[in-house]
Amino acid sequence: MSTELPEPASKIELKPGVGGGGEIPQFNITLRVRRYLPETTADAYWEDFELTMYGTDRVLDALHKVKWDHDGSLSFRRSCAHGVCGSDAMRINGRNRLACKTLLKDLDHSKPITVEAIKGLPLEKDLIVDMEPFFQSYREIMPFLINKGHEPSAERYQSAEDHAKFEDTTKCILCAACTSSCPVFWTDGQYFGPAAIVNAHRFIFDSRDDAGDMRLEVLNDKEGVWRCRTTFNCTEACPRGIQVTQAIAEVKQAILARSI
Amino acid sequence: MNPNEQQISTTVLVIGTGGSGLRAAIELAEMGVDVLAVGKRPRNDAHTSLAAGGINAALGTMDKEDSWQQHAADTIKESYMLANPHTVEIVARGAAQGIHDLERYGMGFAREEDGRISQRFFGAHTFRRTAFAGDYTGLEIQRSLVNRAEQLQIPILDSVYITRLLVKDNQVFGAYGFDINTGKRYLIHADSVILAAGGHTRIWRRTSSRRDENTGDAFRLAVDAGARLRDPELVQFHPSGIIEPESAAGTLISEAARGEGGILRNALGERFMERYDPVRKELSTRDRVALAAYTEIKEGRGTKNGGVWLDISHLPRETIMERLPRVYQTMLEVQMLDVTAEPIEIAPTAHYSMGGVWVRPEDHGTDVNGLYAIGEASSGLHGANRLGGNSLIELLVFGRIVARAAAKYSASLESQPRSAKALAHARAEIDDLLAANGQENVRELQRAIRNMMTDHAGVVRDEEGLQAGLAKLDDIEGRMEHVGIHPDIAGFQDLAHAFDLLGSALAARATLEAALERRETRGCHNRSDYPAMDDSLRVNLVWSPSEGVVREAIPQIPAEISELIKEVSSAGKLVE
Repeated sequence: MSTELPEPASKIELKPGVGGGGEIPQFNITLRVRRYLPETTADAYWEDFELTMYGTDRVLDALHKVKWDHDGSLSFRRSCAHGVCGSDAMRINGRNRLACKTLLKDLDHSKPITVEAIKGLPLEKDLIVDMEPFFQSYREIMPFLINKGHEPSAERYQSAEDHAKFEDTTKCILCAACTSSCPVFWTDGQYFGPAAIVNAHRFIFDSRDDAGDMRLEVLNDKEGVWRCRTTFNCTEACPRGIQVTQAIAEVKQAILARSI
Repeated sequence: MNPNEQQISTTVLVIGTGGSGLRAAIELAEMGVDVLAVGKRPRNDAHTSLAAGGINAALGTMDKEDSWQQHAADTIKESYMLANPHTVEIVARGAAQGIHDLERYGMGFAREEDGRISQRFFGAHTFRRTAFAGDYTGLEIQRSLVNRAEQLQIPILDSVYITRLLVKDNQVFGAYGFDINTGKRYLIHADSVILAAGGHTRIWRRTSSRRDENTGDAFRLAVDAGARLRDPELVQFHPSGIIEPESAAGTLISEAARGEGGILRNALGERFMERYDPVRKELSTRDRVALAAYTEIKEGRGTKNGGVWLDISHLPRETIMERLPRVYQTMLEVQMLDVTAEPIEIAPTAHYSMGGVWVRPEDHGTDVNGLYAIGEASSGLHGANRLGGNSLIELLVFGRIVARAAAKYSASLESQPRSAKALAHARAEIDDLLAANGQENVRELQRAIRNMMTDHAGVVRDEEGLQAGLAKLDDIEGRMEHVGIHPDIAGFQDLAHAFDLLGSALAARATLEAALERRETRGCHNRSDYPAMDDSLRVNLVWSPSEGVVREAIPQIPAEISELIKEVSSAGKLVE
C-alpha cells in the first residue's frame, strides 16, 4: 500500500533513547500488610513481603504481586483500578488512599510501606471491612433527587452558578476514605460521617431538589453534622479532591440559616 | 433440592448493571413492574462510568438549526451507510427525552449561564449537540442511574455471573448463574430477559476494555439461546491506546492530543500521516488514523513494542497543561513520562463493538421470544463507524423502549414456560466445568484468542490472514476441551474465566467469519485485498453458528434524513 504513496516530506532524527522503550526504574520495597484471618487466628498481625517493583507501579500492583506470586490468601477489594469504583480505599503509611491511585515511587522505600484496612468499620478479613454501616448512613440521607408535585415534563433550567454550588460533591465515589479517616467516626460509630454529609450536600444544594429540609433535619441530629470537629482529615483523604470539610461547613450554615 | 442454589422469580430480568441495564430497570420499576438486575461487577464500576466525553441530543440549545433529522443524518453518514435507518431515527428522535430523563434523576449537567444544559462539538457532528458533565460524564450518568435505582428500591445482585439463558421452544423463561465470590448458584425465573452485558472488544490484545469485561459473554448467552449476531466484524479501533506497562495497556490518550497539534511519527521519525491523508494529516478521522498507524507497524516501521509515536513535546508547555492536563497526568503516572519532553508510544486499540446481537429496530427484541438486547451488546445504530457520544444516548433511549416492550410482552403471556431439560443442561454445564481437571489454563487460552485476533483480525484484514485465524481458532477450541478449573480461596473467578473463554471463542469465530465475508473496505473494516468500498456489500452481515453469515438488506433512508446527509468537517472537533 505504501509503495504507491509519496514518501513523507518531513522526517526528523529521533533521539537515541526514543524507540528503545525507555527504561522504567526498578526498586525493592518491603510491603508490610496488616493481616487478619479470623478462621485461623484471633488477632491481626503484620506480615512483610519483599518485592521488586517498577517506577510505574501502584500499591495495588504490589498487592496483586503478593496475591498472585506469594500468598493467594491475601484478601482485598478492588475492581476498576482506575480510581472510579471506590472499592480499594485502604490505609497506606497511615493515610487513607486508593491503592490503585497511589504510586509506589512516591512513597519512602527506605522503610516498610504499611498497608492496613480502613479504620472505624468492622474488620472482616485482611484489608476487607464491612461497608454496611457506611452505606446505612449514606442511605439515610436519601441520596437521590426528590421532587414534590408533578414530575417535570421537560428539562429544568439551572444556572451555571446554581450548578457550581453542588458540582464538587457530585464527584464522590463512595470509597469511604473520608469517613474512615475521621477521628470522630472512629470513636463514635453512630456519627453519620463525612461521606454521608457530602452526599446530602450534593442534593441539599441542588436547586432542583425539594427535600433539602428533610435532609437538614436528619443531619441536625446530635450524630449529624455537629459532631464534626473540622480536623480536615476527610479533605486530605479524599482521592477525588472534594472539599469535604467545606461541604460539611456549608451544611452546618444551611441548618443555622434555616432555623433563624 | 440443592441448598447451594437460590431460586428467584421476577417479571423482567436485566443482565448487566451498566447504563443500559439500569435505565431499563428504572423504567420497569417506575411502571410498577417487578424487575431484578444482576451484574458480574459492582454496579458503581460499570464501563459506563469510564466514558468521559459526552452524550448527544439535538436539543438545539447552542445551535437552533439543529434537529433530530440532522443528528440522524450525521449518524448514518458516519456509519458509512450501514446503520439501520429505523434504529437511528428512534435514537435521534428519542434523544432529547433521554437527556430529560437523566436531568429528572438529578444528573449534574454542565450548564449555560441562562440555566440550559450546555452542549459542545464532538466528532463529525454538524452542530453542537453533546451534553456533558466535566470530564466525567459517564461517571455522573452511572451515579444518577444508581441513585435513581436506589430510590426505587430496585433489587440488584452484584457479582453474579449468568452462564445460560433458560429457553423452551424459542421462548426465554429465565437465566442460570453463580456468585463469583461464593459459588452459590442462582436460578432466576423471569417472563422476559433484557441482555445488557456489553460487547467483545476484550478479545483483542490491545483493548480499552478492562480485564474480564466485554469478553463476548453477552454474545454467547444470546447465541446459545437461539439469537443471531449482526456485524460482529465491525469494531471501532481507537488510534491511540498506550502499550506499556501491561497493567495500563489500552489506556486511551485523548484524540484532543492530535487536535491540539500532536504529530504522529513512525520509528524512522517520518511524519507518516503525510502518506495517508496529506491534507488533514493527524486531523484525519479516527478510522483512517488507526489504519495508518496499523499499516506503519505492520510494514515494519513501528517501534520495538509494535507502536508508533505521538509527539506533543513541541507544543508550548502551557498548551499541554491547559488543554491536555489528563494526557500529561496520565503519562506521568503510568509511565513516568514527561510528554512535554518525550513522545508517547501508542497503538490502535479495540474500543467499541459496533455490531452485536441482532435486534429489531423498533423494540430491540431478538429472534428469541421474550429476549431483548441493548447497549453495546446490541446492534443497528453505529454501522461501520460510531459517531462520538452516540453510545451513551443509545442506552438512555433504548433502555426506556426495551423496558416497555419487555413489560408488554410479559403482560401478554398466557402462561409461564418451564423446562426441566433446559435447567438440567444449565446446571450440568457448571458442574462439568467445575469437575474439569485438564492441563489447559483458561487465562492462557484467552490470551491465545486475543493474540490470534490481533494478528489476524486487527485494523487491517485479508483473506489469507482471516483463514489462518480460523485455523488457529480451531486449534484453540480443541485445547478448550482439556481445561482445568480451579476455584480458590478468593472465589470462583476461574469458573467465570472459563465461561468468558467460551464467549470469547464464539465472538472470535463470528468476527472472523463475518470479516471474511465482508470483502471490501468500509469504515473500521479494512481489507488490504479489497481496498475499495463495494456497493453490493452495503448490507448487514448476520451470523449464527448453524447458518454462518447471511446478508441482510438495509431499509431505505427516509427522505427527510437522506437529504441532510453531507460531508461534515471534523476539524477542531476531535473526540476522546
